[in-house]
Amino acid sequence: MLIRRLKGNSIELADIEPIEAELLRKIPSVCDTGGDSRAEARLFSNPADSSERQFLSDWDEFVRPELRHLFLSARKTVEEDLGKLSDRPGRPGRLVVPCAHSDAWLNTLNQARLILATKFDFTDEELSMHEAPQSFSRRDLVLLQINFYAAIQERIIDAVNGEEQE
Amino acid sequence: MAETVVEPKVEVALGTPWNVVVHNDPVNLMSYVTMVFQKVFGYSKQKAQQHMLEVHYKGRSIVWTGARERAEFYLQQLHGYLLLATLEKAE
Repeated sequence: MLIRRLKGNSIELADIEPIEAELLRKIPSVCDTGGDSRAEARLFSNPADSSERQFLSDWDEFVRPELRHLFLSARKTVEEDLGKLSDRPGRPGRLVVPCAHSDAWLNTLNQARLILATKFDFTDEELSMHEAPQSFSRRDLVLLQINFYAAIQERIIDAVNGEEQE
Repeated sequence: MAETVVEPKVEVALGTPWNVVVHNDPVNLMSYVTMVFQKVFGYSKQKAQQHMLEVHYKGRSIVWTGARERAEFYLQQLHGYLLLATLEKAE
């Protein structure tokens, strides 16, 4: 897959292989915590220690719903963009995303990575590993998925900061 | 003997400064954290990278200090980008 910035303020994801298309399409569903309390706790982390009781209470009442709305809205944007992913059988896919959606993509990819990392209990060391896994357990494949999403995040940041191409 | 008149000290109601602290998180990418600091605080790339590296190597960085209301605003922004950020009274 190739990610680059196009003229007209858009980002192109080109040469998307079927396996990559599948992983991309999984992003919105991965972002569903399914009520997992640890994943929820990571998405909505505490903004202060327990001595700030009133502040924490206000945060829960007013800020947390706004954050939830923001995350859902970002996810919806990505889901709608993914609906335009063209990938006919036997051909690599292509997707063009407006630069204005880059924040939503970065946010949603972050949600996906944080939730996967929390649900599968990855350690700091494991998350920093870049060697191929020894085995291909479900956990190893999830780590590859996390790193795939990280690579897309990196390329989107590069594309947003980079020069436009034809 | 002339009496010395001591003027009472006028307390200036300056609010206590608050720190916005960002904590290390193995999931958030270095480039992403740098970008967020630039967007939220308007920092130069160099300053944003310095804070990002402090977070990465020291586990935390005070990214902004000032009035409580503004600190809360920044905190909300950082949480919107899914960074681990907290509010602390500045010493």
